[in-house]
Amino acid sequence: MNIISVGVNHKTAPIEIRERIALSEVQNKEFVTDLISSGLASEAMVVSTCNRTELYVVPAMSEVNCDYLKEYLIAYKDARKEVRPEHFFNRFYCGTARHLFEVSSAIDSLVLGEGQILGQVKDAYRIAAEVGTAGILLTRLCHTAFSVAKKVKTKTKLMEGAVSVSYAAVELAQKIFSNLSMKKVLLIGAGETGELAAKHIYAKNARNIVITNRTLSKAEALAEELGTNKVLPYETYKEHLHEFDIIITAVSTKEYILTESEMQQSMTRRRLKPVIILDLGLPRNVDPEISKLQNMFLKDIDALKHIIDSNLDRRRAELPKVNAIIDEELVAFGQWINTLKVRPTIVDLQSKFIEIKEKELERYRHKVSEEELKRMEHLTDRILKKILHHPIKMLKAPIDTADNIPSKVNLVRNIFDLEEPNQSLQ
Amino acid sequence: MANIFFENNILFALTQIVPLLYLATTVLYGIHFFRETPLAGTMKQPALILTVVTHVADLGLLTSMEGYRLSYSAYNLMSMVALTLAITYMFIEFTTKSDKTGFFVIAFATVSAMFSSFLSAYSTGTGPVFSGLGIGIHLIASIFGFSAVAIAGLYSGLYLVLFRQIRLNRFGLLFQRLPNLEAIELLIMHAVGFGFFFLSVTIMAGVLEQRVLNETINLLEPKLITLVIIWLLYGISLLIKPLFGWDIKHMAVLLIALFVLITTLLFIMSLMTPSFHGLRF
Repeated sequence: MNIISVGVNHKTAPIEIRERIALSEVQNKEFVTDLISSGLASEAMVVSTCNRTELYVVPAMSEVNCDYLKEYLIAYKDARKEVRPEHFFNRFYCGTARHLFEVSSAIDSLVLGEGQILGQVKDAYRIAAEVGTAGILLTRLCHTAFSVAKKVKTKTKLMEGAVSVSYAAVELAQKIFSNLSMKKVLLIGAGETGELAAKHIYAKNARNIVITNRTLSKAEALAEELGTNKVLPYETYKEHLHEFDIIITAVSTKEYILTESEMQQSMTRRRLKPVIILDLGLPRNVDPEISKLQNMFLKDIDALKHIIDSNLDRRRAELPKVNAIIDEELVAFGQWINTLKVRPTIVDLQSKFIEIKEKELERYRHKVSEEELKRMEHLTDRILKKILHHPIKMLKAPIDTADNIPSKVNLVRNIFDLEEPNQSLQ
Repeated sequence: MANIFFENNILFALTQIVPLLYLATTVLYGIHFFRETPLAGTMKQPALILTVVTHVADLGLLTSMEGYRLSYSAYNLMSMVALTLAITYMFIEFTTKSDKTGFFVIAFATVSAMFSSFLSAYSTGTGPVFSGLGIGIHLIASIFGFSAVAIAGLYSGLYLVLFRQIRLNRFGLLFQRLPNLEAIELLIMHAVGFGFFFLSVTIMAGVLEQRVLNETINLLEPKLITLVIIWLLYGISLLIKPLFGWDIKHMAVLLIALFVLITTLLFIMSLMTPSFHGLRF
């Protein structure tokens, strides 16, 4: 019994290849169903995101190996011209389990510790379960992976701290102000970056967000989307600068939109109450000289990247803890796999004894009353249970290496004279 | 005169244990702040409670020798400073649910407790003993006042450190672990407010008690002059912000300077003028 995983991800292939091989939800369902119905696999699942397309397969025949699965996927996507087998990675058995645990716990992600991936793995499992291609092995593998991810999230700090510029900007604002809901925020620029920053700060309870943009309709649209409905005309927003505690700029301009003299006036009008200006524009939107003003915190993208780098360093420092959790779960998963190998022997052993019991009881069926037969049956059941308890316990006992299993299984089979096991289950 | 701490075994043991407990609590808060070790995080609050309870028992046993009345000595003064700091911090932690500044406050309390323990070795008596509500309020209010002053000074230091870290784009350990600037500012202003209140109570209770005792206090007595100066400076610092528009950064510098000045003066006076305002008891 083996689990194979093959796939392309951000470590093995460039984005053009990843895009070419990615599967939509419909394609995902069709692909895994094909694998099962064609008799190639007994279980199959595909995790497909913008950064990875990975197959997790329990092969149904020995011919189905990694190379076979790579070619099968390339052929399915009709991508022989662009995608080559070298773009793929291969994993087997425990390697597959470790890889899925690493993916789910976000240590294999492009941005270390990004939380989206767990949801994407859960989606992949949901799809496989819906089309019936997730069997006992993949179900157990996925549930263990979810458990690993949960432990990593609660027991480590892998997912703490901002790792995007807009989120780092909000994190910084929270280090200056206690309660963002009490602060007045001005967003200059309603483009993609500004929108993202506005959404992040709104998520942290900032409700007094005023938006200004050269095209007022764009500002109005974003304000409506956020539910704040507060906009200022671009021509007049500078008259209100002193009212704002947090100013976020994200416009495309070659000249500074905020100058030192403007902010000096604003600071005087607000009696030097602290202000944070988050300059998310590139080229910069705000005169760097402003940072010299008293109680002024001016942070541009470079400064925010310092926060991101610091957070990433702290996340990296958590990797030993994450790996320890993965190792622990991997051992438990390996032991569970080993118990699967002894399951046929346990079933055979129980069947053999039940067969003996039924044969012996049959000899007495017409010699004793119905009531006595029931009592005899009850008695023999209890004796059998007690006799089988120890051999079954011994077979199910955790085993560190799979090498020990055949000797244990053979011992029991020889002692109790059991027939040869079904090979497909071994 | 014999040292009372060497005559009473339990008192001697408690006097040695208390600073050790402060030290252990500081270490736990420090490990949790710098390393975020979960075990230290779980143990630090019970350790703080145990320290405070043991310290109260120690002071209770000491005052029991004089009919549970307060006595004035350098040992007692430093010991009470440690205890009030620990109690004030415990109040802050329990009410704000923020334990990020514990290491700094408890470390200061530990220094006071250790200094007190050191002084106990040279103590030849319990010092002048006070009876009466007025003098009790005077003494306790002055100690709480000093603790509030100390906490304002400590938080001001933390404010300036965090302010500087943010300005210089140093987003390291202190940036990650300390509360935000506005929260620290609030703590500072509360501490200053409490400090001023307790110092006012100290002065009022002292004046009233002097009238009751019919004693004449020398108005040029150094402790009295110092107390009035401190009281005035703290009163002014409360008004500086609303009246003159001072920002918290400058306030923080002023409060640190005041804290250093007060600690130095108290230390010098405790050693140079061990009597209580020159009064007889």
